[in-house]
Amino acid sequence: MNAHVETNGIMSSLYQGRPAFVRYWAYIGLMLGAVGLALWGGDGYTENGYIFQLVGQDGFMWLGTGALLATGVSIAYSTMRPEATEGWIPKMMVSWFDGAALMVILMAVLTLFEPTSANVSYEDQSNLFAGHVIMTMNVLFIFSAVSYIAYLFAPDSFIGKLATWTAWAGVYAGGSALLLRWYESYLFMGGEIGHAPVSNIYEVFILLFCIVCIIYLQWERNYEAKAMGAFVMVLVASGVFFAIWLESVGQAEIKPLVPALQSYWMKIHVPMNFVGYGAFAVACGAGMAYLTRMWLEARNSKMVKVFPSLEQLDQLAYKSVAVGFPAFTLATILGAAWAAEAWGGYWSWDPKETWALIVWLVYGAYLHVRISHGWHGKTLAWWTVIGFLVTVFCFLGVNMYLAGLHSYGRLS
Amino acid sequence: MMPPMSQSSDYIKTILLRLGSMSLAITLLTVLALASVIGTVLLQNQDQGDYLQQFGPIWYWVFRALGLFDMYHTWWFLSLLGFLMLSLTVCLYRNVPRFLKEMKSKKVPVSDSAIKHMEHVHHWQLPEQSLEKIISPIKDQLKEWTIRTEERNGITYLRADKGHYHKWGYIFVHSAMLVILIGGWISVHYGFRGNMQVPVGAKEHEISFLKGTSTESLVMPFYVRCNDFSIDFYPNGMPKEFKSNLTIIDGGKEVLTSDIIVNDPLYYKGIRIYQASFGDGGSNIRLKLMKLDGSGDVEIAKTKVYTTFKDDKTDITLEITDFRPHNVENMAEVHEPKDFQDLGASVDYVMRGPGLKPVKIRSFIDPFILNDENRGTFMSVSFSGNTKDFKPMALGLDMTNPKEWELFQRFIVRLGSADLKHPKKANLQAFKLAMADVFGANRPDNFQAMATRVIQAIQVIPRLPWPYIPILDNYDQKYYTGLQLARDPGMNVVWVGSGLLVFGLCIMLYISHRKLWVIIRREKDGVKVTLAGLSNRNPLNFKREFKEILTSFENDMQHLKQGENV
Repeated sequence: MNAHVETNGIMSSLYQGRPAFVRYWAYIGLMLGAVGLALWGGDGYTENGYIFQLVGQDGFMWLGTGALLATGVSIAYSTMRPEATEGWIPKMMVSWFDGAALMVILMAVLTLFEPTSANVSYEDQSNLFAGHVIMTMNVLFIFSAVSYIAYLFAPDSFIGKLATWTAWAGVYAGGSALLLRWYESYLFMGGEIGHAPVSNIYEVFILLFCIVCIIYLQWERNYEAKAMGAFVMVLVASGVFFAIWLESVGQAEIKPLVPALQSYWMKIHVPMNFVGYGAFAVACGAGMAYLTRMWLEARNSKMVKVFPSLEQLDQLAYKSVAVGFPAFTLATILGAAWAAEAWGGYWSWDPKETWALIVWLVYGAYLHVRISHGWHGKTLAWWTVIGFLVTVFCFLGVNMYLAGLHSYGRLS
Repeated sequence: MMPPMSQSSDYIKTILLRLGSMSLAITLLTVLALASVIGTVLLQNQDQGDYLQQFGPIWYWVFRALGLFDMYHTWWFLSLLGFLMLSLTVCLYRNVPRFLKEMKSKKVPVSDSAIKHMEHVHHWQLPEQSLEKIISPIKDQLKEWTIRTEERNGITYLRADKGHYHKWGYIFVHSAMLVILIGGWISVHYGFRGNMQVPVGAKEHEISFLKGTSTESLVMPFYVRCNDFSIDFYPNGMPKEFKSNLTIIDGGKEVLTSDIIVNDPLYYKGIRIYQASFGDGGSNIRLKLMKLDGSGDVEIAKTKVYTTFKDDKTDITLEITDFRPHNVENMAEVHEPKDFQDLGASVDYVMRGPGLKPVKIRSFIDPFILNDENRGTFMSVSFSGNTKDFKPMALGLDMTNPKEWELFQRFIVRLGSADLKHPKKANLQAFKLAMADVFGANRPDNFQAMATRVIQAIQVIPRLPWPYIPILDNYDQKYYTGLQLARDPGMNVVWVGSGLLVFGLCIMLYISHRKLWVIIRREKDGVKVTLAGLSNRNPLNFKREFKEILTSFENDMQHLKQGENV
């Protein structure tokens, strides 16, 4: 969600010093306002009521007050102590917040294209606008994947930049389409079935694409690892084809939530899990790039020059696992906490839980051999690739082949 | 002869070393992962008969002996976990003192050979300076670092550290795993988890649960009474909410009344009560037995779900297995927009009798309406006894209308005395006469639709082998609520461990221990300053960090070279 930052000019001054500092605190104020609204606002927090409060007058008051107060205080504080604006946290976070805000604004604009509620029904969801946005995202990601591959052959041309831009555009299309689906879920059945867009396999796939791209694009920007994009984006593009198939068999429909999923835990547990899965996918991309570079080196190919060094790819794979592993651990713990609340026990050896444990053990072992045994290179590159296959089985295979408590994610 | 003490303690030492070794840890993780796979591929805790059928007698006994049907509770799986705990303990025991010592270590000087092996090194050659002049700008640049200086053999060493506490990450993560496993062990040994089914209006205090392959039960210190159970539906028939209204009765007194729904359990005396399932709690069912002996009689049978109705006259038994108040189905074709309809209430029963093939039937109370047209009463029939094999069977007649049944009976009688040489004409004649028998001169408006149904029924009903058709006539529904009761004293231990795990992981993976050395050496014609850096992980970021530090140092060093005051 990191909005693209130009290195010079007005854009860069927005991401430094006082503008960044004040904006950072304004966003924090906005979030504190949202927390305040949930805790003390209106008629108290309810799953559905809160969303409406947030976009209604109450939300405007609470969030607006929070943002204004925080802006005022941060301006005053930065005037008194100018050196306070030099901290690295505001500088780092503010571009993420901007990206998130941009996504929400995009979604708000997209709602204008939505058919009126009289023209949509639960039974026939074909004219909902999110479908078009998702189709745009599909095209962008596939185009980006092709461009990244083309970049390997023509590293000096414009195509590399195009690949990055379309990947970013795809992220914004996907993110805003998901938010739009959230809005759309309130359009029919009297708003009774509204829920966060992380309730079925189609929606989480879109989330996964966005997370994979965001993590990869960070690596690309910070570590000049563009050749890796050809591998990561091909993974995303194959996911896109799977999602198109899902859509064609009617899995894209917005459906009501079964009682087991009606919990705020869903909004935390599911996205957190996909941060883990997404990071493992990027690690797999780095691993594949590593193996490809080795193969190219053995053949004395000229293309090797386009690739980052083996050392760097090895590091990027590790970095991805280092992002994914704690996220996945936290997600599994959150899942256990939810299970304790809904199923009567934090661990039931349900197939999904067990496979999550297997994935955890696979990457746990990866970290052990790397950190304590100092393993590097080819073996670990293979490890990330095979580890990702295990991960894919965990988030897809379990739902397709094994029964269990997570069966609402089942393909039918 | 006993081995001498020192030798036996050597053995222990070797064993300890082995137990705490990384190779064992990784082997354990791999074996655990592989074993866990078995339990997900082989469905756990199913009916023993199903297993026997699925695997055949030989493999069934092999799997059973290995405990694969309840794998996660077998002695060998639990010992694997025990081994992991032992390995963790030894690992911690061996490494923690060392790590604590290392983190406290104040060793400032560094050998030249160590510097030579470092990736990031830079040298400056300066004219003669006072030490103070060199060190003070360096200290300014490294404000965020912990700095120690020491002089040895005329050389001044300055060591700066960042993230030197990162080894706590290792300690936290591994003790967290131990804490979580201990929590799990407490849960298994001092907790319980079981189910009870409480029909609406009844109370219950016993839970049952699976232990290995047998079912055991446990008495709770209180009664749970179910006052009400209700299901809310979405307009498309999917369940929206399952709600039970429960009263806790402790020592004969009603102490607590509360609603529970899925995701919102009730907590009483350390025991959580969850909404887990629901089912029919013995609804009262009234069946119409439409006799097929030509008499046209209709008998009424009053019975209950989960009971067997026996008819002494015919020796036929009806085992009532289930009742459903709603049956919402999508009536649209595959690619059309969905069209959800409630087909109404249904009862499932198994009909058995002398000379009859046992059959499972789902009888619907309402006639089937398609495109506003009454297609008559229907039922689903399964000869395998499995609900998956239900085949719809339209009876033709609308059995909710007694006149129609009467008409059908008269029609058969009239057909019997009709002239069979002209079947079409005879049919029409017979129907007209039957109409007159039942309705006299007052024909109902919808008699044509009725005629269609009667004609259809004549193709179906006389062919049925049963002495009568039992059809759902009326009901008084009663649910049971399926509750799960659990006490889990290890849960909070697990949460503590989990928090520690995530915290430790973040330190372990995101904090790298970075060390810088500045070595100031007096030489004949000036001072040689060496800057060297080392990071235990994340070399890409450290490369950048070192570069930044180098640039800022470079500036100061240039000033010193030119003899200016900084």
